[in-house]
Amino acid sequence: MVRLITHNLLACHVKGCTSNNFPLEFKDVQVVLRESEFNPDFLRGFIPKIEWTALVGAARELGDTSLPDQPPEMLDDDFLKTLHHVLLEIHVEEGIMICPNCKHNYAISNGIPNMLLAEHEIG
Amino acid sequence: MPAFLFVFAQSHSEFRLPELASVAALHGFTITVPPDCDTSRPFTVLNLESEEHARLLASRCILIKHVCEFYAQGGNYDELHAANKTSSHLWSSYVPDTSFKFVVTAYNHKISESRQRNIVESFSYMGFMGKIDMKNPQVLMGCFEEYETALGLREDRDGKFRQVYFGRLVVDGSARALIKMFDVKKRLYYGNTSMESEVSLLMANQALASPSRFVYDPFCGTGSMAYPIAYFGAQVFGSDIDGRQMRGKDGKDQPPGVLRAAKQYGVADRIVDLCTFDVTRNPWRCGNLFDAIVTDPPYGVRAGAKRLGRKKELSDEKKAANIEHQLSARKAQQPYVPPTKPYELSRLAADLVVLARYLLKPDGRLVFFLPTVNEQYEEVDIQSMLCDGMVLVANSLQDFGSWGRRLVTIRKTTHESYPPPTFEEEHDAVGHIPAHKDFREQYFRGFKKESDVQ
Repeated sequence: MVRLITHNLLACHVKGCTSNNFPLEFKDVQVVLRESEFNPDFLRGFIPKIEWTALVGAARELGDTSLPDQPPEMLDDDFLKTLHHVLLEIHVEEGIMICPNCKHNYAISNGIPNMLLAEHEIG
Repeated sequence: MPAFLFVFAQSHSEFRLPELASVAALHGFTITVPPDCDTSRPFTVLNLESEEHARLLASRCILIKHVCEFYAQGGNYDELHAANKTSSHLWSSYVPDTSFKFVVTAYNHKISESRQRNIVESFSYMGFMGKIDMKNPQVLMGCFEEYETALGLREDRDGKFRQVYFGRLVVDGSARALIKMFDVKKRLYYGNTSMESEVSLLMANQALASPSRFVYDPFCGTGSMAYPIAYFGAQVFGSDIDGRQMRGKDGKDQPPGVLRAAKQYGVADRIVDLCTFDVTRNPWRCGNLFDAIVTDPPYGVRAGAKRLGRKKELSDEKKAANIEHQLSARKAQQPYVPPTKPYELSRLAADLVVLARYLLKPDGRLVFFLPTVNEQYEEVDIQSMLCDGMVLVANSLQDFGSWGRRLVTIRKTTHESYPPPTFEEEHDAVGHIPAHKDFREQYFRGFKKESDVQ
């Protein structure tokens, strides 16, 4: 939990923090790999939503260098399996996600990130 | 198109046809319901393209008990038999040497064994020559008597005979077994607001849950919606303003409660992630993400809805002290719990529709429960919370007497992208005031008018 699919969808949402607020940077992470069922149709549907550079960056940050810099044009099974692994099988269980802009720390505990904002951050 | 007799479970009558329509949509076909169809009755005759469609429906609809090939119906047995004789082309192929069995049952009534025998014998003109096989018959003929609900009668009396139906069993509803499988009492993790399994399964069907779909529950709580949806193959994302609901009390020695229950059902893998945040202050990077949003918002009887903020503004002095406290808590990485304020139900419902329009893909569905005061409910209550590009698909009441909750299904029809909703607090309703406004207060007042209470 906190898989990279989720990381790819979460931006800092502190009031006024609207640029350079994605992707959040990982810090002090504990990573666990868990095999999960391969669902190529789900992946194909999700690919248009991916911020590719952010995904590649996050994967490399966590030590996985299997993704190419650019998404390939052909979505063959080999590629989808690599993507499946990166998006859904790498779990960040503990650690912090930091906003590159406002430096807000979002703590991850037991696999669940706390994305709640403090009172002065909601305005 | 051949006609089929649907025998439904007794409960949740308003959910029957919406569920059929949803499961049909899931499999890419439609069902035409005659305008005079009385949905309150547990027997309905509908035309389907094929037996295959009947099987698809029966394997997924929670409320289907049986589907039969329809032969006849009547207000008495003479009418039934006359009609059955004109349908002989449907059953004549079973006459020569097909093993068979007759079953006679009734709704709202118990038929004595001797009368059951008489009824079976009254069909002897069909002239079935195959052997009677009570265990594994090749065809099963079903005769169903319907009695009126015995309202106002003594409990041991039955209502008036209403109609009798006859047909050949095509398939038993197999999805009803899931109600037991997802029984909340046998779940490893649940809370006092967990949704009963039958209704959560109905919601999963309204949401068209199936493999390759991405479904979101923004008031995830103890995860009741997530399990059946994931069971049907979808990937589920849950969030809640109160992380403790998703985590449970066992600390870090164990996986969060929602994941433990998901594992029990073999679907932990399909719970994509759980996140703590207030949906009105959400971190979604973009919209157009989900195929369905399915949720049971807290409406305040056992747990009221909350959002970030304070009921009353603080003085400047207190505000400054507070910020300092928040910052120091953050630095020490201690869990900091921000203040919350109540989230009024009619506002929450209207916000949810706008949020869904942003987060859903075109054709995606929003499925949620809305409690309402039965006496004051008007159809406009639901219509008035829709917005451009969102249309009502179904609205089914689960009746608890003076109040009830409506399962509302809304479809996103627009392909336009909309900006994320602002959840501003000013847009308060000047116009129509729906019956679900301030539901919690009304509930605790016993649904009396405010002026009557003093």
